[in-house]
Order: sequence, then C-alpha cells, then structure tokens
Amino acid sequence: MPQNEYIEEHIKKHGRRLDYEERKRKKEARESHRISKDAQRLTGFRAKMFAKKRHQEKIEMKKKIKQHEKSNVANQTSTPDDPDGLPAYLLDRQNTNQAKALSTSIKQKRMEKAAKFAVPLPKVRGISEEEMFKVIKTGKTRRKGWKRMITKHTFVGEGFTRRPVKFERIIRPSALRQKKANVTHPELGVTVHLPILSVKKNPQNPLYTQLGVLTKGTIIEVNVSELGLVTAGGKVVWGKYAQVTNEPDRDGCVNALLLV
Amino acid sequence: MKVTWKDIGTVPNANEFLDVVLNRTQRKTPTVIRPGFKISRIRAFYMRKVRYTADGFTEKLQDIVDSFPRLDDIHPFHQDLLNTLYDRDHYKIALSQLSMAKHLIDQVSRDYVRLLKFGQSLFQCKQLKRAAMGRMATIVKRLKDPLLYLEQVRQHLGRLPAIDPNTRTLVICGYPNVGKSSFLKSITRADVDVQPYAFTTKSLYVGHFDYKYLRYQAIDTPGILDHPLEEMNTIEMQSITAIAHLRSCILYFMDLSEQCGFSVEAQVHLYHSIKPLFANKTVMVIINKIDAMRPEDLDENRRAMLDTITAEGNVEIMQLSCHLETNLMEVRNAACEKLLAARVEQKLKGTKVNDVLNKIHLAVPMVPRDGVDRSPFIPEAVKSMKKYDPNDPERRKLSRDVEAENGGAGVYNINLRDKYMLEKDEWKNDIIPELLDGKNVYDFLDPEIGSKLQALEEEEERLEAEGFYDSEDDDIFETEEDADIRMKAAWIREKKKLIQNENRSRKSLRNRAIIPRSKVRKTLSQMEAHLDSIHVDHTEVTERARGRAAEEKAYEASIDEGGVDTIMREAARSRSRGPAESTANEIQSSRFDAGLGTKSLRAKADRIEKMHRRERNRLGRAGEADRHVADTKPKHLFAGKRGIGKTSRR
Repeated sequence: MPQNEYIEEHIKKHGRRLDYEERKRKKEARESHRISKDAQRLTGFRAKMFAKKRHQEKIEMKKKIKQHEKSNVANQTSTPDDPDGLPAYLLDRQNTNQAKALSTSIKQKRMEKAAKFAVPLPKVRGISEEEMFKVIKTGKTRRKGWKRMITKHTFVGEGFTRRPVKFERIIRPSALRQKKANVTHPELGVTVHLPILSVKKNPQNPLYTQLGVLTKGTIIEVNVSELGLVTAGGKVVWGKYAQVTNEPDRDGCVNALLLV
Repeated sequence: MKVTWKDIGTVPNANEFLDVVLNRTQRKTPTVIRPGFKISRIRAFYMRKVRYTADGFTEKLQDIVDSFPRLDDIHPFHQDLLNTLYDRDHYKIALSQLSMAKHLIDQVSRDYVRLLKFGQSLFQCKQLKRAAMGRMATIVKRLKDPLLYLEQVRQHLGRLPAIDPNTRTLVICGYPNVGKSSFLKSITRADVDVQPYAFTTKSLYVGHFDYKYLRYQAIDTPGILDHPLEEMNTIEMQSITAIAHLRSCILYFMDLSEQCGFSVEAQVHLYHSIKPLFANKTVMVIINKIDAMRPEDLDENRRAMLDTITAEGNVEIMQLSCHLETNLMEVRNAACEKLLAARVEQKLKGTKVNDVLNKIHLAVPMVPRDGVDRSPFIPEAVKSMKKYDPNDPERRKLSRDVEAENGGAGVYNINLRDKYMLEKDEWKNDIIPELLDGKNVYDFLDPEIGSKLQALEEEEERLEAEGFYDSEDDDIFETEEDADIRMKAAWIREKKKLIQNENRSRKSLRNRAIIPRSKVRKTLSQMEAHLDSIHVDHTEVTERARGRAAEEKAYEASIDEGGVDTIMREAARSRSRGPAESTANEIQSSRFDAGLGTKSLRAKADRIEKMHRRERNRLGRAGEADRHVADTKPKHLFAGKRGIGKTSRR
C-alpha cells in the first residue's frame, strides 16, 4: 500500500518518464498560443472574464517593468543633492519657492476657515415625497390613504415607542432601521463600525431630519469614543459629526465620512 | 473507528469556491426580469437569488467541515499524530473559521432578504442583491488561508499509512541509522527507503506480515535523539506518539558497532529516558549489526551499561543482522509470541472475557456408565512406532524428501501410484484405458457384480422373512400397563393440541371486536357435548334447562294470545328474573313487528300498506320519504340590510 511521500519516492527511485522534460517545455511553449486563441475566440461572459483577467495581468506586468526600469536608473545615476549641481538658470528659484510656500500656507488657512462649514458632499440629489413615502391604504375597505411608510433607511432613537395605530401617520419600518454606521476617518484612513447617536441634518427636508431619515449627504452624529480622539483641552471626544456617503437603501448599510 | 481518510473531497481555494457557487446561482436561478413586472415578483426574483447563493455557500462549507475528522472522535493515537503533524489548534481554528463563515453568510442572507422585502424598484432590489453577494464573497475571500491549509492537510492525511491502533502491532524504534527500516523491509513487503544516513525515515511506515495465520502490522518509526520531550521536532514526535499510544510489542533497536554515529552509552541512555512510555507494553531490545560487533565483544564498561537494561526483568535481548539476514525470523517470531501472550493476558484480566466464558460449558461424563472402559483404540504397531523428527538423520523417508531430492516442487512430481496394492507390482504404473475393444472399461471392472447384487438381495429377503429385523424388544418390555399409559399420553397430547388450536382461533381477532365472556351465547347442546367429553353426569342440569325452556315457551304463547306489546313483555320478564340472567339472554325486539299480535296480522298490514302506496305511485306524486324543502328562499334571510358579519347568521 502506498504511504507517505510515495510519489516523490518513486520519482527518486525510477526517475520520470523519458519525455517528461520535453512535454513540459512544449506545454509551456504552447501556453501563449492558447491564450491568443482564447482571446480571439471566446465570446460572451467568458470573454469578459478572460479580458478582465488579462487586463489585470498586463497592469501587473507593466508595473513590474516600470519598477525595474526605475531601479536600474537609480543605480546608474545618483542625483546630486547639493545646489551646486543645479544648472545656473535654476539657482535663484530657491527664494521664490519660500515665498510661494508662505503664500500657500496663508491660502490654506483661509481655505480651512471656509472649510469649517464645508462638507465632503456639498450637493445632493433631490428626493421627491413620492419616492420617500409610500401611501398605505387603511380602513375596512382600504379606501383611506392618510398613512405613510418611509421607504428609506432611518435612524430611530433608543427609547422610541410607536404611537397608537390610529394616530401613527408615518411608519418607520423596523427592518429599515439602522443603529450603526461604517465611519471613515479621512486623515487616519481607517473605517470603524460606530453607533449612530442622532441625525443632525438631512439636506432634503427638515421633516426628514426630524424623522431620522438616512440618505446620501445626511449629517449624522456618531459615537467616536472607541477611536479615542482627544480635544485640544485634553478631553475625550464623545460625539462627532459625519456625512453619509452612500445610498443606504441600495447597499443595506450606512457608510459615512467623519467631519474633522 | 476510521483508520484512513482517503475519501475527503478536495478543498477548493477561495477563488474557485466563489466561482463554483456564483456560477451555480447563475445557472440554476431564473435570469430574466423586467422593470414592468409586479414589484412582488421582482422582489421574489432577487430574494431567491440571495437565498440560493447563501445556501450554496453554507452547503459547501458544511461539507468541508463534516468531511474532516473531528479530533475528539478518533483514537487517541491518531489524535496525537494529527496534533504533531498539523498542530491541533491550527486545525481546529481552520475548521471553526469555516463554520463561523457559514454562520455569517446565513446572517447576511437573512438581513438582505429582509431588506429586499422593502425594495421599491427593480434597480434598488438589484443593488441590494449585489451588495448581499458582495458581502458573502468577502466573507469567503477571507477564508483563503484556512482553505489552503485544509487542502494541504487533506493531501497529507490521505497519504498517511493505515495504522490500526487496536490490532497486533510491532513498533520498531531506536536511534537514527540503527537499522530499523531495513528490519521492516526484510520482514514485510513494505517499500521503505533504506539509506546509510540518519533520518532517512521521516514519518511512520507500516508493513504487514502473517505469523501463525494471524495478521500483524509492523510500524517503522523515525529515529529519536536523546533530549527532552519539549525539544523534540515533528519527526521525532511521530515516533513518540506511536510508542505511547499503540498497544504493541516494542522492539528497541541498538547498534553496538556505533556505525550509526551514536555511542552505546547514548543508546542505553535513550532507552532509559523513554522507558516511562513502555508501561503496560512488552519490550524487546534488539541488537542489530552483529556482523560488525557482537555484545560479547564489548568492553567491561559498556557491557555493564547494556546490562542495566535487562536488570528490569521482563526485557529480552536478541541479536540479529539485517545485512547478513541472520536471526531475522527468530526475532520476529519471538516478538509475535510475546505480544500474543501479553494480549491474551490482558484480555483475561478484563471483564469482557467473562461474558464469553459464561456461555461456554464443556460437558464431561462424570462416572463411566457401566464400568466398561471406552478408551480410544490405538494399534500396537502405531504405539511402538518411532516418532518422526525432521532433524533425525535416521528418520523415515517421506515422499516430500523424495521430492526435495529430485529438485523440489514444480520440478519433480512424486509417484502417487507407488502405494497401489495390486497382484503384481509391475501393473502399478500401467495406463488404464477408458475404452478397450469398443467397450467401456468401467463396465467390466467386476465381472460378477450382477450375481453379487442378486445374492445380497436374496439374503435380505430371507432375513426379512425370518423376522430378523423385527425388534422383539417391544414385546418383551411392554406390559399392559405401559400400553395403557402410552395410549392415554397420546390422547392427552392430542387433546392439548386441539384445545390449543381452538384457543388460538378464538383469540385471533381477524378484525372483530372482543366479545366479553358473559355475552357469548352457548347453546344447551354445546354444554351437553362438553360435559360429555369430560365425563360429567349432566342429566340433571339438562333436565332443568329443558324445563325452563318449556316454561318460557308457554309464557310467550300466553302473551301472544293476550296481544301485549313485546317491549313491555321484555321489561316484565327482566323484572321477574334476576339481573344477572336478564343481561345474558335478552334479545332486541323488532320494531317492525312491534304492535302486531300474530304473524297473520303482519301479512295483513303489509297488504294494506301496499294498497295505500299504489294510488300515489300511479300519479307520480312525491311521497313522504322524498326530499322536500319547504321554503327555498326564506324571506327573513334575503330581505333587509346586511350589517357587519350578518351574511351567514340572521
């Protein structure tokens, strides 16, 4: 009975087939032919997948070639760091560079002041009432239509209890309620799953803000105590604003960008 | 319990896994949907896709998890072996990651199906489906490493030797390069690599051989170096596992010539350090390579060291040389004998043996029945014959010896006709033809066979006529009393049988209800027959019964004449008699005849009824037996306003 490394053992004892090397070489040589044949003849979904794969491979290859070229260049000519190596016509640019830096820093500061009120998504798509609300027919003969159901995801506070059926004009379905959001810190470049505290502002309509509707561009307040951010005074920041960057009703989750 | 795991299916890598499942979803679920369709249909279409994909993932993951052996379910030997080879924690974590992924995928599918129920448009539903599949794919992509690991484990697991931990086992262990593998190779047909350097064998190898019609497995282990258990590497740990867990005979190999590169001191020291593992096992120390160095040639110090091994008592030292192939079989047989003895002893110690012993009883006659000695008959010639001994030079010459002298089996055939007893010796080797002179030889083997048969038959007839075969013993022993008893016994047996059959047929229900004994009717004649059969005088009883019957008849006749209602009569009778009797014999009265005095009245009533029907039948009018609805549409059910829920109840 064969056991353990019996294949390697057999190869060691008896060697491979006599034409093994040749077959291997030929197979490798034919590989490019096969690829070209595929590229020409495949159709439909398979062709799409093939092209995608090939495209990816080519990108990889080109990147690698570029890297090699770069490293070769670096090896060949070492750039001189001292200003003496610069040509004469570039020598007096140094001062202007410093001036430019100064002006850019001033500009930056101004921009920041303005940015206090700027958000990553300044414009949003308008959402009509028809899209937002679905009319629910009530009454014994389904003739009455004063009830509405929100079709978008919403944030509902923790202690919320529904009103009696007779007085509940707007329903927020529990399946579409969201408690947490994937919040990205733009500077740290990390994404954390954080609990939502409240909806600060829905740009569509103040009513939506009140109802806690989450659409693209909504400003929400998230609990960032997990991130361990500290204010200038040294206190731990608890709540922070973030803007929703996706359509939650299409992805089934809320993605947001932290406003810093 | 499973010993090999060759049948585990291949574990695909993460990308293949995705391709397989997503492809399946694409192939097996409907693909055409239009925005104009009813929204419920669109939702169902996408919900089905999400569910189907999740099912595909979970099913595949479950298959993988189930196909791998659970470490808690296998023999401790395999458990430990798997631990040393694949690391128990790593293995368990990989499998648990798979089952965790299954769980997560289930959750994702549940969440997204719930969201799809609120989908408002085809586009939204489609996006939700995409998101669901994307999340499932991410979960599976994260399984890249466990899947790769499990595939490697599967490949290695399939190539492990099939070691049965419960069978008769010889475990060969010792320092590297002392000749363990060459011993296994020479006693079994296992194809083991033998090389003149240390650690040629890197894993366990198993070989099988037969000894005394029993199958044994011999296990070759990698060499062990003498250091603490914690410092041992995977290769050494495999041999430790085999030594520790297999109930076996352990052959500790030693090389006194030190060609292996390890001194005798080191080898003895190793023996002592792994000795705790030999508890409850039989141990033999085998000295290999005696062609190079024998234990007798050792110097004083080393000899003393070697003797410390045997000081324990039940350890035997044997010598062999795999190179010269001396003493191989002796060592093997001695080990097998020792192992077998140990196993039997262990079995006798256990409680299991009693279960078998309880069932076996060897009956031995206690006292000779009539004082006659019935010892087996052995002819004198046999008793005085010299015992055959294969090593005796003056032994009898057997046909086997003749065969061996002339070239052995396959070359020379012994003559089987030598032992024929014929009138003349030269006839022995004659060829007997099947046909001779156109006649079948077998018909003429014995010319007088006809007359012999006739003689036999005549004798038989004569003996029969003389009454030779009639057994006279019966007449001699049997007295009249005996015959009587015999007859009665036969009668009793038959009667018993009859009763049994009757009861059986009575008790078999055949889809009928059980009738209580008190309700079963028995006629007078039945009672009479029964009493007759048991020889009880019943004249008095029958007379009384007959008298009663006559009385009743007279009573009935008197009632008939009086024209009193039958039902009333029943009641009157039951009142007059005791309660026990009345329940037993009461007959249901016929409603049909109730109210009619005599039989003639019945006929008259029939005639009158017929007459009345005639006219109505002639006109085809509805009779009182016909279905009749008095009011098909009662006004109160159809007129007026209907309030809530008043349609069916008014």
